[in-house]
Amino acid sequence: MVQGITEESVSVSKKPGRKAVLFNEYIIAIILTALVTAAAAVLEPVTGYFAIALLYLLLVVAVGMKLHRGPALLVAASSALVWNFFFIPTRFSLHIAKIEDLMIFAMFFIVAIAMGHLTSQLRLNEMAERNRQQRTAALYELVHEAGLAHDLDGGLRAAISLTDTLFGVRASLVLRLPDHSLAAETHPASSCSLDEKEYKVAAWAFSHRMPAGRFTDTFSDSRALHLPLEGGTAVMGVLSIRPAPQTTIGLAEKELLQTFAVLIGTILEKDDLLQGAKRAEIIEATERLERALLQSVSHELKTPLSVVGTGISALAKMVVPNEKSQATLHEIQQALRRLHRVINNLLNMTRIESGAVHPQLDWCDVGEIIEAAKDLAADVVASHRVEVDLDRSLPMVRIDQPLLEQCLSNLLLNAGSNSAAGSEIKLNARVADERLVISVRDEGKGVAEWELPHIFETFYRGAEARPGGTGLGLAIVDGFTRALGGSVAAANKRPHGAEFVITIPVETLRPDVMEKLA
Amino acid sequence: MSDNSTALVIDDEPQIRKLLRVLLEQEHYRTLESESGRHGLSEAALRRPDVVLLDLGLPDMDGLAVLERLRQWSQVPVLVLSVRDGPEDKVAALDAGADDYVTKPFEATELLARLRAIQRRVSGGGEAACFEAGHLVIDFNSHCVTVAGREVKLTATEYALLKLLAVNAGKVVTQKQLLREVWGPNAEEQSQYLRVYMMHLRKKIEIPTSPDRLLRTESGIGYRLVIPPTKP
Repeated sequence: MVQGITEESVSVSKKPGRKAVLFNEYIIAIILTALVTAAAAVLEPVTGYFAIALLYLLLVVAVGMKLHRGPALLVAASSALVWNFFFIPTRFSLHIAKIEDLMIFAMFFIVAIAMGHLTSQLRLNEMAERNRQQRTAALYELVHEAGLAHDLDGGLRAAISLTDTLFGVRASLVLRLPDHSLAAETHPASSCSLDEKEYKVAAWAFSHRMPAGRFTDTFSDSRALHLPLEGGTAVMGVLSIRPAPQTTIGLAEKELLQTFAVLIGTILEKDDLLQGAKRAEIIEATERLERALLQSVSHELKTPLSVVGTGISALAKMVVPNEKSQATLHEIQQALRRLHRVINNLLNMTRIESGAVHPQLDWCDVGEIIEAAKDLAADVVASHRVEVDLDRSLPMVRIDQPLLEQCLSNLLLNAGSNSAAGSEIKLNARVADERLVISVRDEGKGVAEWELPHIFETFYRGAEARPGGTGLGLAIVDGFTRALGGSVAAANKRPHGAEFVITIPVETLRPDVMEKLA
Repeated sequence: MSDNSTALVIDDEPQIRKLLRVLLEQEHYRTLESESGRHGLSEAALRRPDVVLLDLGLPDMDGLAVLERLRQWSQVPVLVLSVRDGPEDKVAALDAGADDYVTKPFEATELLARLRAIQRRVSGGGEAACFEAGHLVIDFNSHCVTVAGREVKLTATEYALLKLLAVNAGKVVTQKQLLREVWGPNAEEQSQYLRVYMMHLRKKIEIPTSPDRLLRTESGIGYRLVIPPTKP
């Protein structure tokens, strides 16, 4: 079914232009007429001049079958005249002596012209039919090769090579990226590349959803024709066609190429939708699995911890309270709290590393968050003086409160465990340029310079770190601030102590504006 | 109040059930146990407990579903006790009708305080004419609020907010609930109103030097008015 198309039959653009073809055909027509005339001159003494007329009619039919209408009509007219001139008495003159000769000449003239016209019409119809067949076959092949290919790249490669062979051109594809912009590079299946200028034209065709470049009204001085790959709803890229120099693309071919572009666009769109659905499914399945896993691990770790905690509390009421038993119970409870914190840190780190942290932004009062963070770190910083320095005109910010609270409490815990009891921890919060900046400064020894680049790494423990702690607290601060779109930095301060600064871009709302609203 | 109350513990972990029984019986609760949601629901229907401690991760059905079924016919105070510590889990449980939420592992004293708080609400705490928490006294009849003996002027909205928290003292009140009841059903998403008024309210009723803060933030969930333990 597909055999109909061969390179030779469709690639009109490989032949020289239509004018040159016609000129050649006219020359052939004249030569053929001359040859037949020469043959007729030999035959005429034997057959008489009436038979010669039939010889000319045969020529007209033959020429009409093979050549265009113009040359066919030329052969018809010229053979009538030549026959008259050379063979009808009086010979070597257009004058016709006998009335019956005149009648036969007139009839011959009409019949020859009619024959020429009819046969060339026949030929045109046949050609049109063949073209239609080729078009259908080409589209069928495109769908078959590209649309039903197992992988998209293979399909596109097939589409490009089909375009190349059918139209005798070089073609390239620039596809749409997942973010709906045009890729900067041509697709690897392309058989030619685009220079900067051609790429710009392709980008125009993409954004305006209109053909551009050569053979169009826009950027017609380009070397290539750029067709947008229109799918059902979106433009999926651009098909750029570069014919060999000095050749043209006919109207019918351009139309066929546009149909090609639409087909490729539809194939790409279908693939894009399928991929999108698949991706969403995978992400959902992964998240469900991670959630289930985290939940069951967290359940398994926290349940025994609850049992121990509740058991200790129940025991505490059974024993006779004395100094020793109270101290022991207190130690156990401290250890349980520490264990609880480690488990939470591990679970949080897992959430960060599996990308399961999705901030839920809401309007928050930073002062409130700081108070809550202090509560969370209370057991460690109780023996420190925590000074909170809040900008009095601090606006409301839109942020994920639990995440920020966790960051701040981890920084407070870090400051508390790295500085002596009784020393000061300074907490400062301000908003500048739509950024929330919170710093936590302690009066400890600070961080060794060579350790500064590493302290936010998972499980990194400072060389002089106190026992206890897992090297996760700061990594979690880093992970959570990143999830909030911000960053955390550490530096040493003079005369001593370390300062950690969290910077997070936020939407803000001034309280005085709020009051007018409420 | 707990002298003759009955508590129903719905949890699939036998160790947790056993120890909660010990803990609750020390506080003179009569204790019932259920290891599954279905059994728990039938126990709640037959034995009419005064308070329910509900785990969310049950083998036969989700704790939230148990809560929803229970709420169709009972207003018994429910304390959710779960390892799920995400704010969205807590809000979902509170929206489904839980009175409060305690994450495992929990501190026994905190658990018992929460239990008392949710039972107090049911036994008519809101009908008292006067509310007292540490240095704060609210007279519901005269709308008079005093802090450490001195009267403070509150706007109507501030008073409504404080009253709602006081009526639910000791128990978390979700952000949505506060917005809905103080600002109306259309304001449920307008958290900025709440933040601004809480800020003002804090300035007016908290004493900065006092170690007892009354208004506590429950991150991502809402607020709680804490009644400080009365000093002897």
